[in-house]
Amino acid sequence: MNVIFGIILTLSTIILIFKSPESVLTAMLSGGEKALNLSIKMVVVYAVWMGVFSLLEQSGLSNKFAKMLKPLNKFLFGKVPDRANDFMSLNISANVLGMSGATTPMGIKSVQELEKYKGTEYAIAMFFVINATSVQIIPSSVLALRSSMGASSPADIILPTILATLLSTVIGVVLVKIFIKKKA
Amino acid sequence: MSKYFIPILFLIIYLFSIIKKVKPYDAFTQGAKSAVPFATSVFPYLVSIFVLTELFEQSGLSNFLSNFLSPFFGLLGIPKELTKLVLIKPFSGNGALAVLTEIYTKYGVDGYLSRCASVIYGSSETVFYVAAVYFAGAKTKKLALPIIISLIASFFSSVFACFICHIL
Repeated sequence: MNVIFGIILTLSTIILIFKSPESVLTAMLSGGEKALNLSIKMVVVYAVWMGVFSLLEQSGLSNKFAKMLKPLNKFLFGKVPDRANDFMSLNISANVLGMSGATTPMGIKSVQELEKYKGTEYAIAMFFVINATSVQIIPSSVLALRSSMGASSPADIILPTILATLLSTVIGVVLVKIFIKKKA
Repeated sequence: MSKYFIPILFLIIYLFSIIKKVKPYDAFTQGAKSAVPFATSVFPYLVSIFVLTELFEQSGLSNFLSNFLSPFFGLLGIPKELTKLVLIKPFSGNGALAVLTEIYTKYGVDGYLSRCASVIYGSSETVFYVAAVYFAGAKTKKLALPIIISLIASFFSSVFACFICHIL
């Protein structure tokens, strides 16, 4: 990321010095402004989703979900420590349900837990690929944006999204199984 | 049909919470509370990425790259208007969200391009962002292969998304 960031930053600035030097700072500031506007929108979206998720958690539904995922986890990651399995289940359930606010902290905790043990490289690689290929069922941010922009039926993209996201994850899982060695 | 999905899912959660005697007001507020610190922690990433995307765009670099790659993407069925989205998504969900908004505004939110863009956006992840955040404090440095695998998988799902949107 640092390499890419550095290259694009430098190259763009060089081009702009020749094209229109006064727009270098303006462009950067307008980028910051867009980031702020988006953050404000995000606070709202996350607040609502995290509110609902909190109900899900406290009612014990999410725990049931984690238990349901245990056989799947075994198939995907092989043997993993119990604590890591809990975090990973929560991360994956949050992922599936599209609660991106909850996936990140659980993801970081899962990686930290997995790293404490030897022979978990395969599980870490698989966990990363699953997270990086998206497994979410409801693309909540897309739905929110579509309805806010007046789409006639904002939810008509749910089914194709589920199919596409399933495909990417299956390809990812298969590639990990082929190319990364599982250690006993 | 799918417009009932979220309301019904939420309803199930509410009903289950009532059965389990969860205090709904307290629980909801508690959850909502975590939104602000989350947004604060993500804000620096947003600024960096948006400053970068803005420079990338205004300098004409992104158009150059999109134009260069779109014939190859086109061969696989990805419309040229969506090349930029496919390119930017692995780096920044928020950059991609900006591109997505642009596509909605330009081509209308209900058209094929917009639906296809929604599916591409919704079915892929910000691969580099996930790598950066999840492994920020981690010792594991062997991430190159998993990153490449994720990028390949995402690219094929984008191709599939453009195809499936013709049918569904």
